[in-house]
Amino acid sequence: MHRYRFVLLRPLQFLPVIFGISIITFILVRLIPGDPARVLLGTRATPTAIANIRAQFGLDEPIWLQYFYFLRNLGNGEMGKSILYKIDVLNLIATRIEPTLALVICSVLLSIAIAVPMASIAARNAGRAPDHAVRIISTFGIGFPPFWLGLMLIILFSVKLDLLPVSGYGSTLGDKLAHLILPSLTIALSLSTVLTRSLRAAMIEGLKSDVATAARARGMPERIVFWRHVLPNSLVPTINLLAVNTGWLIGGTVVIESVFALPGMGQLLVRAIFSRDYMVVQGVAMVFACATVLVNFLADIATVAADPRVKL
Amino acid sequence: MNRKWKSIGFAAFAAALSLSASFAEAAGVLTIGRREDSTTFDPIKSAQNVDNWVFSNVFDVLIRVDKSGTKLEPGLAESWTVSDDGLTYTFKIRDAKFSDGSPITAEDAAFSLLRIRDNEGSLWSDSYKIVETAEATDPKTLTVKLKTPSAPFLSTLALPNVSVLSKKAVEAGEDAFAELPTASSGAFTVKEWRRGDRVILEKNPNFWQADRVKLDGVEWISVPDDNTRMLNVQAGQLDTAIFVPFSRVEELKKDANLSVLIDTSTREDHLLINHEHGALAKKEVRQAVDMAIDKKAIVDTVTFGLGTVANSYIPKGSLYHYDANYQYPYDPAKAKAMLAEAGASDLSLNYVVNAGNEVDEQIAVLLQQQLSKAGITVNLQKVDPSQSWDMLIAGDYDISVMYWTNDILDPDQKTTFVLGHDTNMNYMTRYKSDKVKDLVAAARLELDPKKREAMYAEIQKTAKDDVHWVDLYYSPYINVARKNVENFYQNPLGRFFLEDTVKN
Repeated sequence: MHRYRFVLLRPLQFLPVIFGISIITFILVRLIPGDPARVLLGTRATPTAIANIRAQFGLDEPIWLQYFYFLRNLGNGEMGKSILYKIDVLNLIATRIEPTLALVICSVLLSIAIAVPMASIAARNAGRAPDHAVRIISTFGIGFPPFWLGLMLIILFSVKLDLLPVSGYGSTLGDKLAHLILPSLTIALSLSTVLTRSLRAAMIEGLKSDVATAARARGMPERIVFWRHVLPNSLVPTINLLAVNTGWLIGGTVVIESVFALPGMGQLLVRAIFSRDYMVVQGVAMVFACATVLVNFLADIATVAADPRVKL
Repeated sequence: MNRKWKSIGFAAFAAALSLSASFAEAAGVLTIGRREDSTTFDPIKSAQNVDNWVFSNVFDVLIRVDKSGTKLEPGLAESWTVSDDGLTYTFKIRDAKFSDGSPITAEDAAFSLLRIRDNEGSLWSDSYKIVETAEATDPKTLTVKLKTPSAPFLSTLALPNVSVLSKKAVEAGEDAFAELPTASSGAFTVKEWRRGDRVILEKNPNFWQADRVKLDGVEWISVPDDNTRMLNVQAGQLDTAIFVPFSRVEELKKDANLSVLIDTSTREDHLLINHEHGALAKKEVRQAVDMAIDKKAIVDTVTFGLGTVANSYIPKGSLYHYDANYQYPYDPAKAKAMLAEAGASDLSLNYVVNAGNEVDEQIAVLLQQQLSKAGITVNLQKVDPSQSWDMLIAGDYDISVMYWTNDILDPDQKTTFVLGHDTNMNYMTRYKSDKVKDLVAAARLELDPKKREAMYAEIQKTAKDDVHWVDLYYSPYINVARKNVENFYQNPLGRFFLEDTVKN
């Protein structure tokens, strides 16, 4: 079982990574010019009111002391108070996790559902017309900016055909899923192109591999060779590709959540940045960072489990 | 495996189809799409319009502003008297109940007024420091004593932030109240707040004007993207949407299912001038800048003709607006000559622009072209809005476009900020005029409306002559509603009169 030793050791490496991220986000967000107190008070801000807000949220303290307080709070499982919403940042984030998580999961599942058939068609017809068709479709998928693609999907499916909700989230499970179809599809249309390419390459290699040749020699039909031997092996690099793309995927949800009015963490982050709500920006950045680290860790475990030859 | 996937796909699609029927909202519940969600339900802890709109649905005030936005009318105060020295105000509280059934008393009113003045988290303390004492002399009588007489005091009581709250409900837990108020004095109560998504309001049966309210409820739904918000109304999934961009009005007007609602606002866009920077200190140079700007062209291009050229810092239609105020003619040749005479023919200006704001960026390009005809070089410096604010405060600019909307009907608030020679350097312009400074202070104390009007006319004339800033244009609120919605109206101070709205 020593192949799995990294499962115990790897988390030790996370601590310095997350600590580093906390310092970087803490400093970066304070380096952007602008003052949260002034944004909060709007055009009617008076110097006394601004000073009052700054004192209330500890913004008048030296930056190293603010960071110390931030770490101390983190130790107590708190992330400070939002300047804009005046409630604890963790509570605020907790109300926003579900839509983002659901969007990411649906997008990944949908991408795989699109990429696997596309890559299979391309790989089994490598160099012929279907392969070229898949490549052209992929290029389109990458070429369109996601916010534009999202709006076009809304116009088609919600305004013209009246099949799906334009935007928002829902309150019941079915309602939520209906609201997630278009945003997930928007992300999946661009994510699946990346997956298709990697899968296609792995499948072509798999079709030429000794395993496949041996299976064919035993008289196994080509269809079975593909589904039983080629496809599972080509999924290993794809898992890693997905994990590496987590950061990109999270960045994508920020745009898509705004277009589709999904009340998730991406929207929370955008508004927090515009209003310089430091604590919320730090909090969301930390959650995103931890999620990325965790996904990559899980991908490593999955890789080891899927392929007995891999050692980490 | 193939077949299995196919059947799952069909099932999902069928589910989606059957669900689409449930998107239509319940009858009698008005859905409104807006850019941002609320931030709190504690009125003293917000200075954002998004919150004020909802506060005025949920809480009532002692004195209200009428639909025209120019007159005060009784709210929870049935009547009031002012002592001869202008220091003591006595309000008679009407017989009304909070949504939880408890009576609204003078004690609740006194508590709410003192709380906005004294509470540590209040963003509005400065505006109510003038209150010396506020007490319930009997359960239905509120007596307020001021430190000095103040003409605008009554209109500050109409702000949603100083709404009458239930003392009992607030004292039971401020944080819980801010999350979900348990007692409301307005037309609606808060049923649920799905953070980041929507605020769900329900008709308050105990509201003293409950007969007037036709809607069963209201949902304020956050849809940040302008395009998505409009598409929601076009698809019939929202009844109304606010903040229609100027550029979309023509297209939406063509849709037979929609009415585009254009309501007068108090918004004025203006060009700030830094009076401390070089040649801009000279009045003649500032006048030349004003003359070099073709405001009509800006109105036509930027607002698609929906705005009107501004001639005073007090917006048209507002109390004490001086309609006969002078307007500098557009005359680039004369501007050029004036600049030469003032020894500023090689004037070069640093223009701070709010990046990412379509309208601001358009104005910047137009102004740059127009001013160049008078020989003025303009360097555009695009920065993030909250950064530009810092630069204006620090005086790190020559010119910059900003806007202002009134939230009380009395002109004193804006006048003090813009011309009161207060702590904010006359709204970052660094304008100095002893005459104007004294007039602003005197107008605040003058209780005779006729005399006050004359004083404000004088202030507007002098400020225009000195070109404290360049008035550009006034623009309306533009909202859109489905045809089955009636009386969806926003008054000039931004209040939505949802108590009169009907959804057929």
